[in-house]
Amino acid sequence: MIRLENISKTYQTDKVETLALKDINLHVPKGEFLSIMGPSGCGKSTLLNLIGLLDQPGAGTISVDGAAVKSYRDKDVARLRNQTFGFIFQSFHLINDLQVIDNVELPLLYRSLAAGERRRRAREALERVGLGARMEHYPNQLSGGQQQRVAIARAIVGRPQVLLADEPTGNLDSQMGGEVMDLLLRLNAEGTTVVMVTHDEREAKRGSKIVRVFDGQLVN
Amino acid sequence: MFKNYLITAYKVYTRRKLFTAINLTCITLTLMVLMVVTALLQNAFYPSGVEGRSDRFLQVTTLVAESEGRNSVRTGPLGYKLIDQYLRPMKSVQLVAAVSSPRTVSVYQDDRVSELMLRRADAEYWQILDFKVLEGSVPSAEDVEQGRFVAVLNASTAARLYPGIAATGQQLNAGGQTFKVIGVVEDTLQLNSYSDIWVPVTTDPSSEYRSQMFGDFFALLLADRPAQLPLIQAEVAEVARNLQFDDPKQWNLALMWADSKLDFFARGLFRTEREADSGAGLMLALIAGLMILFMLLPALNLVNLNSGRILERSSEIGVRKAFGASSRTLVIQFVIENVLLCLFGGLLGLIAAIAALSWLEQSGLIPYLKVNINLAVFFCGLAITLLFGLLSGVIPAWKMSRLHPVQALKGAA
Repeated sequence: MIRLENISKTYQTDKVETLALKDINLHVPKGEFLSIMGPSGCGKSTLLNLIGLLDQPGAGTISVDGAAVKSYRDKDVARLRNQTFGFIFQSFHLINDLQVIDNVELPLLYRSLAAGERRRRAREALERVGLGARMEHYPNQLSGGQQQRVAIARAIVGRPQVLLADEPTGNLDSQMGGEVMDLLLRLNAEGTTVVMVTHDEREAKRGSKIVRVFDGQLVN
Repeated sequence: MFKNYLITAYKVYTRRKLFTAINLTCITLTLMVLMVVTALLQNAFYPSGVEGRSDRFLQVTTLVAESEGRNSVRTGPLGYKLIDQYLRPMKSVQLVAAVSSPRTVSVYQDDRVSELMLRRADAEYWQILDFKVLEGSVPSAEDVEQGRFVAVLNASTAARLYPGIAATGQQLNAGGQTFKVIGVVEDTLQLNSYSDIWVPVTTDPSSEYRSQMFGDFFALLLADRPAQLPLIQAEVAEVARNLQFDDPKQWNLALMWADSKLDFFARGLFRTEREADSGAGLMLALIAGLMILFMLLPALNLVNLNSGRILERSSEIGVRKAFGASSRTLVIQFVIENVLLCLFGGLLGLIAAIAALSWLEQSGLIPYLKVNINLAVFFCGLAITLLFGLLSGVIPAWKMSRLHPVQALKGAA
C-alpha cells in the first residue's frame, strides 16, 4: 500500500541543520494497523506527515499503491491526499466556525460530488461515529471525545484507503480514548489501513504491528 | 462549496467585528469618494444632458497670434469675425455656433440688483445644444438676425427674479439693456451651456465685435457624426495656417485647435495652446494614476489586515490542505471572501455616494450641479469594488497558499 525507501528529512533553522529522519525504509501493507512509537522529538510525527504527503522528504522515495510520488506539485499531491488519506490529529483541528456536519463534509468539497450526495455521506459518517444527533452543533459545544469522533467522521467520510492518526487519544481521558481506539480498530477490521502515532504501549499493542523510532531512525 | 465559503466568510466577519468594521469603513469611504469623483468627471466629459451631442461637436476657444520672430504673442478668445468669416464656411462641419463666455452683468429687478452670468449666442447655439425648454421658447434665427432684445433665463434665475409668476413675457434689465423674456430653460452646469441668461449675439451694445479677430467668443463646430471630428480638427488647423489678420505686419502666424471637452480641460491644465496635442492622454493617465494611488493606499492597508486575518486561520488552511484543497482552491476561497466583503462595502459606498451627491446638489455649493449615479457610474463603481477586492485579497491569499500543510497545522505561519 505505502512504501518508504531510504527516506531522510532534515530541517534547516537559521544556521542549524536538524536531522529529523535518516534512511527510513518502511512498508505498510493494505489492511495493516501500524503503530509508530518513540520518545518525544524522535521524528514519529515527521514520519507520519511524510506518509500522508503533508511534508516532502529531503531524500528517498514514497510509493502509494505501487506508484512512486515523483512530483510534489501542489495540485497533484492535493488530489492524492484527498483520494487516499484521512487524517486524525491530536488537537482535532476542527473549524469552529462551521457546524459539525459542515466540518465532516469538508473533504468532499474538493471532489466533484453533488451537494446532496455530500450531505448524505457526511450524515452517514457522523452516524457511524455515534454523533447523528449532533450534526448541527458547533465543535466548541462538544466534549473532547465527541470532537475527536467528529474528526474521525471527517477522516472517513471520503472513504480513504489509509487513516493517519497522530496521537488521536493524546488529549482525551482514558474512557474517551478507549472509545476512539475501538472505533479505529473497527474501521481497520472493515479493511481500512491505519497508521497511528502513539506514546501509549497498550494502545500500540492493539494494532497489528509496531515500529519504533529513535533519533530519526527505525529501531527493532 | 460556495455555501461553505459563504458560511465561513460570514462567521469570520461576524466573529471579528472590529476588523470587519475597519475594513468596511475603509472600503466604503474610498469607494464613496471615487464614485463621487467619477460621477463629477462623467458629468463634465461624458455626452449627457444639454451637451448630449458633445460626442459630435468640438469647440474652438483660443486663438494664438504671433509676430514674425515671435517678438510678440497674443493669446485669447476668438473674435466674432474669425468665427463668421473663417469657421462658418468650413466644409467638414454641419453647423457652426458662436457664443460668448458667460459675463457678469448687473440685473435690476424692482429695487434689487443681482449679479448674474449672461451669454450672447447666435441661433445655431440653440440647435447644437439640447436645452430643455420649460417655458416659452428659445431665440429663433430671425430673432438673432433682427437683433431682437429677447432673453432666455434658466429656471433658478426665473424663480429668483419673478417669484410666483411666469417669467415669460416679463421685462428684464440686464447690463443697462432691456430684454423681453421669451423662454425658461432647465438649470445646467456644463462647459458650454452654463449661464443664468442668454441673449442674441446681435444685441451687443456695440457692433464692433463683428470686425474683431480676437474677442470674447468661442465656436462650437457640429459634425454629422463622431467619425467626422478628426476632419474638422484638420480643417481648423488648416484655417489657422491661412488666417489673414487685418495687419499682417503685426501678426503673421495663427494657431487654433478644435478641441473636445477633454482637450479643452487638458489645454487649460498643461498650457498647450501652441501644440496640436492638447495633452488629454496625459491628463487621463494622471487621473487614472491618481485614482489607482487613491485606491492603493487603503488596499495596502487591507492587504495588511487581511494577511493577519488569514494567517490567524492557519490551522483551517492546514486542515483544508490535508483534506485535499490545492493552493489554487484556497486562493479562490479567500479571494471570494474578500470580494464579498468589498461588494458589501461597495454597496454601502454607493449609498453613501448617492447621499453625498444629493447633499452636494442641494447645498448649492456648486451652483446648478445635477449629477446622478447612473448605470455607467454604478458599473464603474462595481468594477472599482471588484478591483479593490482582488487587490486586497489576492496578495494575502497567495502568501497563505504557499504555506506547507504541516507548517499551517502547527500555526507556524
